[in-house]
Amino acid sequence: MHIFEGFLPSPWWQLWFVFSIPVILYGMYKLNKLVSEKREVVPLIAVAGAFIFVLSSLKLPSVTGSCSHPTGTGMAAVLFGPSITAVLGVIVLIYQALFLAHGGISTLGANVASMGIIGPFVAYAFYKAAAKTNMNFYLNIFLATAIADWITYVTTSVQLSLAFPTGGSLTVTGFLSSFIAFATVFATTQVPLAIMEGALTALIMKYVVQVKSDVLVNLDVLTSDAVEKLKGAMS
Amino acid sequence: MTHVLDDYALNSPLREKNNWLKLAITIFGILVGVSSNSPVPPFVIALCMGIATVHFSKVPVIFYLKILAAPAGFVLVSSVIIAFLSGSGTELFGFDILGHRLGVDTAGLNLAILVLARTISGMSCMFFLSLTTPMIELFSVLKAAKLPDSFVEIAMMMYRYIFVFLDVAMDIKYAQTVRLGYRDFKTSFRSMVMLGANLFIRSWEQGEKLYLSMNSRCYDGKLIMYDEKRPVKMPDILLTGIYFVIVLSVFSLTRDMSFI
Repeated sequence: MHIFEGFLPSPWWQLWFVFSIPVILYGMYKLNKLVSEKREVVPLIAVAGAFIFVLSSLKLPSVTGSCSHPTGTGMAAVLFGPSITAVLGVIVLIYQALFLAHGGISTLGANVASMGIIGPFVAYAFYKAAAKTNMNFYLNIFLATAIADWITYVTTSVQLSLAFPTGGSLTVTGFLSSFIAFATVFATTQVPLAIMEGALTALIMKYVVQVKSDVLVNLDVLTSDAVEKLKGAMS
Repeated sequence: MTHVLDDYALNSPLREKNNWLKLAITIFGILVGVSSNSPVPPFVIALCMGIATVHFSKVPVIFYLKILAAPAGFVLVSSVIIAFLSGSGTELFGFDILGHRLGVDTAGLNLAILVLARTISGMSCMFFLSLTTPMIELFSVLKAAKLPDSFVEIAMMMYRYIFVFLDVAMDIKYAQTVRLGYRDFKTSFRSMVMLGANLFIRSWEQGEKLYLSMNSRCYDGKLIMYDEKRPVKMPDILLTGIYFVIVLSVFSLTRDMSFI
């Protein structure tokens, strides 16, 4: 969920920038290191970023009739790792703000925190942990991206309720009651959409394994043995 | 989604103006709007930016109002929550649900109106930038801001490929639609998966081709681009100055004024 321009008052929009900027700087450092080692990744990362942008501008078919968009960041986190996803997330969010009027400049810090950092990080941590327990690859992707999508909305609810607690001043009870209100509206309505996005990403991955599995091996998402096993299971 | 805001920026008469000036106007509006405690300055900013965008930049009014309504859903829902939850003071109206008193009081309503005003002013500032300045012009600003080369480069290539993939996605979607691919929920989900997967595979191949073609043209990790010099003209400074003075004086006059 994009928080729109001007929605977060001071000092919250500054604080979210303070939270996001170190992570972005670390992501840029990682990116620079990766680029100096393997120059051929620059076009690939750029194209992947464009893919995330286009994916997130497509409307998901939704059960309730309202339309929503996939975030796509969970998939990027699994493919590239959370720190590079944070950098890609910044660029995608700036473009979404400027081209599609989603999001904003002063709220960029908060949006990067929820969609570029916290959501992807959770997805990545879940993916890695579940991969260790030999969970089915597609189930893992499904859960990781669904959780990332949902956590993104929970984070947005936290951000909104920190900025607008019940009673006007920030207390624990005020924060909690306001969080319940925002979370009921934004996070619970998002559960079916998160499941949709998870299913979508898992099925996209299935196609990718079938058609172009070498990509996943190159990115260290899967080992070549695992790809062989998945392909064997399908045929 | 065939029209991106960038299309209007490319044809805007204000495109020829200095990028830094436009950026300064936008940032100024956003900062004043977000730090204002009364809904009046944001409305003044929104009005000025709206006139600047529609009158000077020749954006169709209907289109402008339509994009300004884009955040409406999110903003209205959140404002209603804020109005009910926060604040103290005399209660304006309320009702009982399951033994809980839900009411809107003056402070809550004020806050909701303030947030609404800030959002409108922020959006209008952002639209001013995005409807007058194509992204290509902003890349030189990013470079001058000393962001790392790899970051700016990835941003530039992404910009190019967003439009390529949008076209591909629209074509695939059109082809699927005329074959009844979005007939009901199940088929539309299947179509969506095919669209996403094909887009991913295609974009990956495109990325590999791009690397090859750039390498064969001696790409060494730096894309050098032409940065057109656009000096700031006197009338522009004057107009911007007047706008700044008006907004700042409204800001200081209405410092603690509230709507109700």
